[in-house]
Amino acid sequence: MSRKKEKSNLIENKKKTADNEIIRLGVTLFAITFVVALLLGITNMFTKDRIAAAKEQSAIDAMKLVQPEADEFNPIDVKLDDAVVSSVNEAKKGGEVVGWCVKASPNGYGGTIELMVGISKDKAVTGVSIISLSETPGLGAKASEKSFIDQYVSKTGPLNVVKGSAADQNDILAISGATITSKAVTSGVQAALDCITKLQDEGVLK
Amino acid sequence: MNSFIKQLKNGIITENPNLVQLIGMCPTMAVSTSLVNGIGMGIAATAVLICSNAVISLLRSITPNKIRIAVYIVVIAGFVTMVDLLMQAYTPTLSKSLGLFIPLIVVNCIILARAEAYASKNDVLHSAIDGLAMGLGFTFTLCILSTVREILGNGTILGFHILGRAYQPALIMILPTGGFLTLGIVIAVMQKLTSKKGA
Repeated sequence: MSRKKEKSNLIENKKKTADNEIIRLGVTLFAITFVVALLLGITNMFTKDRIAAAKEQSAIDAMKLVQPEADEFNPIDVKLDDAVVSSVNEAKKGGEVVGWCVKASPNGYGGTIELMVGISKDKAVTGVSIISLSETPGLGAKASEKSFIDQYVSKTGPLNVVKGSAADQNDILAISGATITSKAVTSGVQAALDCITKLQDEGVLK
Repeated sequence: MNSFIKQLKNGIITENPNLVQLIGMCPTMAVSTSLVNGIGMGIAATAVLICSNAVISLLRSITPNKIRIAVYIVVIAGFVTMVDLLMQAYTPTLSKSLGLFIPLIVVNCIILARAEAYASKNDVLHSAIDGLAMGLGFTFTLCILSTVREILGNGTILGFHILGRAYQPALIMILPTGGFLTLGIVIAVMQKLTSKKGA
């Protein structure tokens, strides 16, 4: 065998082992990811229903909080052209409609704030509940405290955010140090009120 | 048994991941604003650490050196997702307040550091114990920091008011600044205590 041929054989062999190695690495990584994916699938299967139930329960709890009189909630199937309002539920008491629960998600200081707003038939706020927020603890996070959130009860709008002291019937006193959060929550409540007015005007809601 | 205690002590005090190795600072700062968050994050990270250390140690002979980091991350991400799903299903309130920080355990460098530095070189049992020890060390730091920050910054502990209504909470303690201040002081105290012991 000539030297040249030997050399080319050697290079070929080297190339082969390199190819083999890539395949070996690929197969190992694939096997591991496959097993992990399988286990995740199983975990998901077992927790899926519970997670859905927990989410639904927290939504119902929030609706009960803002419409304390109602005993039944039915989602209303409407197309909402709204960036803030995401769903509307009918609140019923003994089969009769007493108002609506509107879910709104305005943008706060630290991300989206999810609110549930209860609105009575005469378009006054019956209650507001914060489902989730990621505002600064100690400042914006105070938005979920009763002293702030109860300000909205029985207001009809249009709402204004004020500092210092609330003079007008529709004034909302801002949390000190958290004006952005206060404005965001207020805009969410206002969007919920506007949405109900609009749906009523369109004849979707009676 | 002796080596078990030694390993535990190593994780919690001598080589405490936060206070001595100074790794995993981001989640430490972010979740130590209240004791509930601190404990929740600590337990979640400990569970992930034990499981990932054990599995990575189990796979150490078949893990090719060239793709070991990829394998570690897949294993860690798998466990974190499981913990996340389980928490969403069984502790929805805690899962909500920890929010994004649970998925972020994937990139918590304590876990990758222990996989690379310990689990890939030691047997399964010792790796699991190391995971437990380091996890407890992390939980220990979180508890100290969050207790201090919650009391001073909010006047509460586990949500109960203990300093009375008249206490004006020092907001700075809840904000990142307070986190750095507390962490610095805790590290200094820890150094003082351990250096005395050594002398």
